[in-house]
Amino acid sequence: MTDQDAQISAPLHGILAEYDTPTAVVKASKKVRDAGYTRWDTYTPFPIHGIEKAMGIRMTILPWFVMAFALIGLTVAILLQWGTNAVDYPWIVSGKPFWSWPANVPIIFELTVLYSAFATLAGMLALNNLPLPAHPLDLKERFRRVTDDKFFLLIEARDPKFDEARVRSLLEDTAPVVLDEVREDRTSSDKLPRALIYVGIVAGVASLVPFALFAQARTQKMEHGRRHLVWDMDFTPSYKAQADNPLYEDKRAMRKPPEGTVARGLLNDDDQLHLGKNAQGNWATTLPASMSADEATMKLGQAQFGIYCTPCHGFAGEGNGMVHKRASALGQGWVPPTNLHEQRIRTMAAGEIYNTITNGIRNMPGYGAQMDDSERWAVVLYLRALQKSRTVGASQLSDAERSQLK
Amino acid sequence: MSESKKKDDKAAPKTGVAVTLQDNGDRIVLDPKAGGGFNVGLGLAVVGLGAAAGTGGGLFGEQFQHSYLAAYMWALSIFVGAVWWVTLQHLFGSRASLVMRRIAEILAQGVAVMAVLSLPILVPIFTGNDALYPWADHEYLHSNHVLHAKAGYFGTGFFAARMVIYFLGWFLLAKYWLAKSLQQDKTTGDVAFYKKLQGKAAPAMIFFALSVTFCAMDLLMTLDPIWFSTIFGVYYFATCVETFHCVLALTMMWLQSTGHIKKSVTVEHYHDVGKMMFAYVCFWSYVGFSQFMLIWYANIPEETHWFHMRLVGGWKESTLFLAATHFVIPFFGMMSRSMKRNLGPLKFWAVYMLAVCWLDMYWLVAPNLHSEGGVPGVTDLLAWVGMIGVVIATIVFNLRSKSLVAQGDPRFKRSLTFQNI
Repeated sequence: MTDQDAQISAPLHGILAEYDTPTAVVKASKKVRDAGYTRWDTYTPFPIHGIEKAMGIRMTILPWFVMAFALIGLTVAILLQWGTNAVDYPWIVSGKPFWSWPANVPIIFELTVLYSAFATLAGMLALNNLPLPAHPLDLKERFRRVTDDKFFLLIEARDPKFDEARVRSLLEDTAPVVLDEVREDRTSSDKLPRALIYVGIVAGVASLVPFALFAQARTQKMEHGRRHLVWDMDFTPSYKAQADNPLYEDKRAMRKPPEGTVARGLLNDDDQLHLGKNAQGNWATTLPASMSADEATMKLGQAQFGIYCTPCHGFAGEGNGMVHKRASALGQGWVPPTNLHEQRIRTMAAGEIYNTITNGIRNMPGYGAQMDDSERWAVVLYLRALQKSRTVGASQLSDAERSQLK
Repeated sequence: MSESKKKDDKAAPKTGVAVTLQDNGDRIVLDPKAGGGFNVGLGLAVVGLGAAAGTGGGLFGEQFQHSYLAAYMWALSIFVGAVWWVTLQHLFGSRASLVMRRIAEILAQGVAVMAVLSLPILVPIFTGNDALYPWADHEYLHSNHVLHAKAGYFGTGFFAARMVIYFLGWFLLAKYWLAKSLQQDKTTGDVAFYKKLQGKAAPAMIFFALSVTFCAMDLLMTLDPIWFSTIFGVYYFATCVETFHCVLALTMMWLQSTGHIKKSVTVEHYHDVGKMMFAYVCFWSYVGFSQFMLIWYANIPEETHWFHMRLVGGWKESTLFLAATHFVIPFFGMMSRSMKRNLGPLKFWAVYMLAVCWLDMYWLVAPNLHSEGGVPGVTDLLAWVGMIGVVIATIVFNLRSKSLVAQGDPRFKRSLTFQNI
């Protein structure tokens, strides 16, 4: 059977009416709508206002489709930004919280709109059965003028009420220019075009290339260094911390803090705590106000004394620590460490003792770098306790303590 | 044509304007019986504003001044929005809106009343009373380096000149559009006439953009003279467009319910107005959020303190409430097509949006006076009611004695048969 024969004997697709004016096609639509047909359509070069009413077309469901995707886009945007910025890789950007909703709004807005746009386009095409590669009407020579100045109305054979004779008479009453039959397409190939297949294969393979590159990068050792895809990000023009900055007189990139800047915690505005001096500038005789003479401070002082003071001054503070014993045994000339129970030290102001611990005196090094202010004051407190232990009389002890002496 | 004119003249003897529209028999001149709204409006205005002054510490009392400013800027936005819209229709050569254009031209005349009603706010500025604007006190202006640098802008003379330019400009523009439109009624079918108007609309629009921007800045942004936002004028403009469209819809509905233009204004025109009402909810939200986000992100104290004040303490809830009522609720509520094609929902949303637009003005003004937080108080509400009265009275007054449709435009018939998608 030749193509032409196949076409002539093909089943009926529908009856086609052709009109010269939009008014005629609208009038005809009303008749067809009122007659109760459902499988039919009109074809016009331009949209005709009011034809949807004349055809009885109802409002499309597309807006609901778009709304659903808009909400999906909104959710995706929120989850994406929350997941990446607050959960997976929390980092501070511009001092804002990890998950800062104002910064997220532009992306949320954008994805909502983007998903809506995709849904609108894809939904519109899908609801219109597009893309439609072939349609029996394409075989009608006269139908070509639908893009120019002719208006058509087709009632399809698959309409439940279709009866060829009745349909022909109905359409004849609408005074068409031409009334014709449309047969199903039996001549066009129903195979996918070769070119499309080839393009599909090439595109499919090409789309795998980036993944292959990722796999290679993750599994193999490379000789070359990192690839710089965004040069400005990897090589910023800003001056690096330890490098030169020719713009300044001292050529430093790192700038000194302004005069008078104090690092946090280093203000040291309490002279008694920091220097051992009271408000009048004399050596303080009491613990600084920020410290309390309690068990905890005493224990701290005992511990620090044990670490730093006992090597020279001994555990009882008599000046007979291990360093003294060893140095005396060498016999090369050695000034013994001070006995901390002598009158001079017992009457020395607490602040002066504190100053000696901090800065050292004669052969004794200063321990200001090894202990902080409150620790050194704790040592002073412990020292006073040691001194008191030599001078307190038995009568001043409690009964429990006196029984321990025996 | 002349016979029917004679017949109708007995209803409008003074102006000789045809009372009935030829094409569809609509009544197109305000029925005197419907003019009772003027008295209602006037009563509300006097009682509302008077009581507000009473509870707000007098005409120059701090509370009254703040409440009055919020209500005033709300009312002004309606009329300024009308001036903009008429200019826009001329600029675009729009056909679909022609049926509504005369109503908008009439609404635009209200800027004259608003010019007079600006006096309670302007007089304190000229007498150095800083009840409302801190910069009215010139010592304050020179107390701070930033303000000192801006002092020239706040100079009394320059300020007065700007106010004159804004109000005179809007007044003349509104008068011009209406006069030309009425003139056009007598010259039917002249295309050159409306083309000339289109040409004039371009520079008019430029003037409008500048004037609304700087008026909003002068009257609202300078409440905090150190703070600035370059998008502030656009933010106020969004309110102008929103309130205008709501009032346009309500005015047309009222006219139709009292027997006028029943067939001329169709559901298609209301659909258009409804679409703009919805669009400008989105626009206001977009501009409002942009204003916030850029300032928030840059985090510069000079700019952030204005928002900081509205995001701490009692104002935090008010700000969230505004965002919910001015954006979230109307965005979903006004989205559907049916809301715009049914007068019941349209009326509801028009009234609703007018209310939240006033709340927006309150939110702009009140934190200046009540820094701990606030809900609208008695004075605020009374001032608003007073201004509602002013708006009603002004509109009803201006609707009198003229044709309610711009039938002289050669494209008018297309507007009568306009169909929305």
